[in-house]
Amino acid sequence: MINYIFRRIIQMIPTVIGVILLTFILFNIVPNDLAAISLGKNVTPEMLERFDNNRGLNLPLFYGYKASTRSMNDQNFEKGQYDWRGIGVSYNNEDKYISIRSKNNFNPLLFKLDKSYEYEWTGIARGSGIIAGNNFNSNQWKKFKIISNNENSEFFSGNIDFKKIKIRKKIDNPYNSQLFFYFRQLSKADFGYSESFKQPVIKLLSDGIWPSLSLTIPIFFIGLLISIFLSLLCALFRNKFIDRFFVILSVALMSINYVVYIVAGQYLLGFKMNLFPVWGYESVTYLFLPVLIGVISGLGSNIRFYRTIMLDEMYKDYVRTAYSKGASKTRVLFRHILKNASIPIITNVVIAIPFLYTGSLLLENFFGIPGLGYLGINAILSADIDVVRALVLIGSLLFVFSNLLTDICYALVDPRVKLK
Amino acid sequence: MKKFDTTSLWQDAWRRLKRDKIAVISLCFVIFFTLLAIYGEIVYQYHDVLDITPNYQKTNLENAYISPNINYLMGTDGLGRDVMARLIQGVRIAYKVGIITSLIAIPIGVILGCIAAYYGGKIDDIIVWFYSTVASMPGLLFILAIAMIFKGQGLLGIYLGIGLTTWVGLCRLVRGEVLKHKELTYVHSAKVLGISSSKIMFKHILPNIFHIIIVTFTLRFPAAVGTEVIMSYLGIGVQNEPSWGLMIESARMRLWQGMWWEMTFVTIALFLLVLSFNLLGDSLRDALDPKLND
Repeated sequence: MINYIFRRIIQMIPTVIGVILLTFILFNIVPNDLAAISLGKNVTPEMLERFDNNRGLNLPLFYGYKASTRSMNDQNFEKGQYDWRGIGVSYNNEDKYISIRSKNNFNPLLFKLDKSYEYEWTGIARGSGIIAGNNFNSNQWKKFKIISNNENSEFFSGNIDFKKIKIRKKIDNPYNSQLFFYFRQLSKADFGYSESFKQPVIKLLSDGIWPSLSLTIPIFFIGLLISIFLSLLCALFRNKFIDRFFVILSVALMSINYVVYIVAGQYLLGFKMNLFPVWGYESVTYLFLPVLIGVISGLGSNIRFYRTIMLDEMYKDYVRTAYSKGASKTRVLFRHILKNASIPIITNVVIAIPFLYTGSLLLENFFGIPGLGYLGINAILSADIDVVRALVLIGSLLFVFSNLLTDICYALVDPRVKLK
Repeated sequence: MKKFDTTSLWQDAWRRLKRDKIAVISLCFVIFFTLLAIYGEIVYQYHDVLDITPNYQKTNLENAYISPNINYLMGTDGLGRDVMARLIQGVRIAYKVGIITSLIAIPIGVILGCIAAYYGGKIDDIIVWFYSTVASMPGLLFILAIAMIFKGQGLLGIYLGIGLTTWVGLCRLVRGEVLKHKELTYVHSAKVLGISSSKIMFKHILPNIFHIIIVTFTLRFPAAVGTEVIMSYLGIGVQNEPSWGLMIESARMRLWQGMWWEMTFVTIALFLLVLSFNLLGDSLRDALDPKLND
């Protein structure tokens, strides 16, 4: 048994790595500017720089010596003048380059550089003068690469033409990349800082878990009991009216949109009949309606699922034996079939753990229950990257672990599993 | 020589489907909705090409909240727009989402599933690892996160969110089925004849497992429509077009003041569309699965 569990844990590792990589791809590689998505339109370059710094987003993705900085956008004057404007700066529209004719200092940077780093300027230029504090002299267009010593890196003067120029921050450790940053964050269980709630994500998560559980656990267990009971009923009266009725009913229940359940429930039960409070999280009564809606909305697929399981068991030899030795129908159903069907039921129960955790996104949102689902929707609406990433990551890790747990339960209940 | 009456799998399936009353009724509904969607697209394209604002987008506050009558069979909404015209545009958007997400998800699932099963070994391991990773992601939250990343790019976020997350089930099914077919004689003979692997996979095996794709399409279509409604309702999806999710959202508050028509008709349409696809998919699965053949 120990051996089996150990083997199963080893098998789990690639999936865990996969999940981490997938969230990395989704949040670090795909969006080209996470800070802009997250902070919206009215931002200063300093805010973007701080956002990047806190999340390691200016580092290279996997490996490298150069980090980006928001102090100056990459300038390619062959495509236009962009944002180099000022006294002594002119743009040559025909040959597409920028000229600086300035005795005074021209400063292209949007904010002061962090002096504790070295910066590397690269580009194509000609003329003579000072680039980022270093002398430059060339009659022809020439590529340059200048490491600025911190003090006067903002200093541009002389007669110089530029075709292209960009600035990069030098970092010492090439492995100090976004991926490494992410791993280091995870190893410290640090999920970042929420920009919209102005709180560490870990605190938001721990605050939200209890409201979520108070909603999802009743939904889950009440739903489980009802659907197992109904599916046994279906199995008992297979192809009779009751069975057909519940099969059709379950397809119909599955076809109703979750949103419609919520709207109809709030309107009919909350507003028209005034049975339940509609919005808030103050006492137990506030949970009745969302739990009811949660149970009903899940009923359709659950009945179908458990009915198939029960019917699978119905035609096995042991059932026939039980009948032939004179056991009553209900006894066979509850003592024999239910016991054997408990394996797939356990699977379904354990697999639902991540759902219990992330809560019901929609229910929480429309009943004002301050759980993780509520947090998740609001984080997505306000593009709060750190919160969304943490929820996605934890949700998927829980899924992987509950898969492991299922397999172990399986092996405990059914010794044949270990042999495979 | 005596000629045997032979029927192909498809003829057989059609015969079985015709006997099933529920399937025939749902098929009629599916055809009806498809025609509505095509009509909606024609109306949309007509206004788009001529560059005029269609009636279903025009604000006319004098006509706000008219209950259903002979001019407006389904009444008007808060901005005086005809609910029925908007509802038909909603069918169009639902179909667009259902079809485009299928065009993303089904090829991914089929190709990866075929390759994994056919080549086996390391390739299989990698693909199985990949899909079990994607399967671990928390459903709706993952879809919403993808949509958030592609924020401000219209429907693209919805398409990618739903399309890139819902191929795993199909991939598993295809992989399992190709594994079975790989050992059958016709594949062995094709190999002996020296036919290339890709040709065997996509020209010989694929037609034999095509029924899986059809059933999957019919069942994932309503799921995609439902997800789109939820996303639009939350304000993450469609913005300026009459999606059902947006219509439900705008009708929700008015419902409490007695304006029941927009909500009622939209939810009925949504329910019928999803239900008929679900029932048709179930019947198709029964009709196409030879194992259940009595």
